[in-house]
Amino acid sequence: MGLSSAELEVLLLSLKIALWCVAVSLPPGVLLGWLMARREFRGKALVDGFLHLPLVLPPVVSGYVLLVLFGRQGILGGFLEGVLGVRLAFDWKGAVLASAVVGFPLMLRAVRLAIEAVDPRLEQVARTLGAGRLRVFWSVTLPLAIHGVLVGSLLSFARSLGEFGATITFVANIPGETRTIPAAIYTFLNQPGGEVAATRLVVISVVVALVALTAGEWIARRTRRG
Amino acid sequence: MDRSAHSTGVTMLALDVEYALAEFTLRVKVECPGAATAILGPSGAGKTTLLNLIAGLLRPDRGTVRVDGVVLHASDEGIDLPPERRRIGYVFQDDLLFPHLNVEANLRYGYERLPTADRRFAPERIIDLLEIGALLQRRTVQLSGGERQRVALGRALLASPRLLLMDEPLASLDQGLKSRIIPYLRHIHSDLDIPIIYVSHSVAEILELTAQVMVLKRGQVVAHGDFFHIAHQPEVLPLVEEYGFENVLPVEMVSGDAALGVSLVRCNGQALKVPYCPRPVGARMFVGVRADDIILARSRPQGLSVRNMLEGHIVEVKDVEGKWLVYVDVGVEEGGVGRLAVKVTAEAVRELGLAVGEQVVCLMKTHSIRLGPEME
Repeated sequence: MGLSSAELEVLLLSLKIALWCVAVSLPPGVLLGWLMARREFRGKALVDGFLHLPLVLPPVVSGYVLLVLFGRQGILGGFLEGVLGVRLAFDWKGAVLASAVVGFPLMLRAVRLAIEAVDPRLEQVARTLGAGRLRVFWSVTLPLAIHGVLVGSLLSFARSLGEFGATITFVANIPGETRTIPAAIYTFLNQPGGEVAATRLVVISVVVALVALTAGEWIARRTRRG
Repeated sequence: MDRSAHSTGVTMLALDVEYALAEFTLRVKVECPGAATAILGPSGAGKTTLLNLIAGLLRPDRGTVRVDGVVLHASDEGIDLPPERRRIGYVFQDDLLFPHLNVEANLRYGYERLPTADRRFAPERIIDLLEIGALLQRRTVQLSGGERQRVALGRALLASPRLLLMDEPLASLDQGLKSRIIPYLRHIHSDLDIPIIYVSHSVAEILELTAQVMVLKRGQVVAHGDFFHIAHQPEVLPLVEEYGFENVLPVEMVSGDAALGVSLVRCNGQALKVPYCPRPVGARMFVGVRADDIILARSRPQGLSVRNMLEGHIVEVKDVEGKWLVYVDVGVEEGGVGRLAVKVTAEAVRELGLAVGEQVVCLMKTHSIRLGPEME
């Protein structure tokens, strides 16, 4: 049973969005994870709560907020499109943003916990050995927390593959642009006689999920040992 | 390498710092000459805090920190060098090796960040000195406790520090390992000419390294100077007793026999046999004995294996929390404490009639005597 070109298109789009989701989540995830693990500041609990909101809110709400902010008439959306020429709404880049926002708490938590587990005295030793803060981060903190960074990336990737509510609210369900696997399954299920096509996509998504999880487990085991 | 700078009494470390802690404010104003200074004090006295202030890991509320004439911190002038620019080595109680790097990468961590002109030692030299050449490719989890601590020491030394801070570096090692590491520490300040600030609970450990001691209590320096002059100050004595009282006697080397493993020393006219040490005849040094390791007799006993008998008279009998301490004047004066503290049971005090003024003999096994540093 080979994949039809339409199925392949949906699969590749889903993977593209998921990979980009990881790529855009990583820098802020690592930065904020470090900040939350290592720095004390006023309103830290509030910031923490805010960053975790997407985990608790219904994805539809996250998607609606994104639409308000980044829609073509939105405050930020208008600026982005007018000044930078970047359109997010009804575009695959918007799907990346939606899944990044929804998956961000997972990335953040994994990174933060991993950095908290690094003995801060190792960082202090590194500084007495002549390494500045940034060097210490790259040469001690990050390598020792890399496990958490990879786990966070995997969770973010998986969350993106499964993302539906925020994506469909923010960027709709446009074939070839924003129609990911879950959106395609939803579409087929709403068509009379679409069950077979939907089932094929379900099988595809199960296979993709298993491959991703196995790869993640393999990476996790290697980094734990290394 | 300029060896004279430290030995001519140039101030190596000048501290005048204040730092508020939860229970008290640390206030330390001291100047330490070169070589090695030990910091002694009960837990929570602020010893580690003081090291962190010197290293730049904590910032004093007020004050100055100068090492080798270089100002590292001066609150009034707004100078505060970050730890990475202070060039102060720090060896912690736990070795804190980087677990993701092998031994060699650990050793080179600081060395590689140092401008070539500032590198004082070739890695090979330090590796030879600490005898860790065979470990270079190992992962840190494969090392024993003593090996780990030596690698941590080598890592700090290869960063060419101006000063080496050591926070109870041997606390996690057993006694056998300790006695094998201490010679390395002696090499550091004799061969490499790196001054050391050494925090420890153990007087015995300190005395193998240096006689310069600073005693810290609730954030204040309560005594500072030659251990043999301050050991009997009321502020210091209880501390010394708490961690295993160490009697200290000034002695002069008479002869040594490596084959028998014994050296003969003279202590104010009385001969003492001590474990062999390869120091020249006539060298003056200190030896230490624990109060627990001395036996009292009313007269010179016959037929004992004990080699050392020092005669003296009792000057004080004291009950310290249920343990009896008998102080015996053995007639040592110059530079020494002149009296030995001996720990005995209440029963012994009663049966032997140990009282002030009585003549007694102090018996010490050769191997219960520890060799201390040479006198300047």
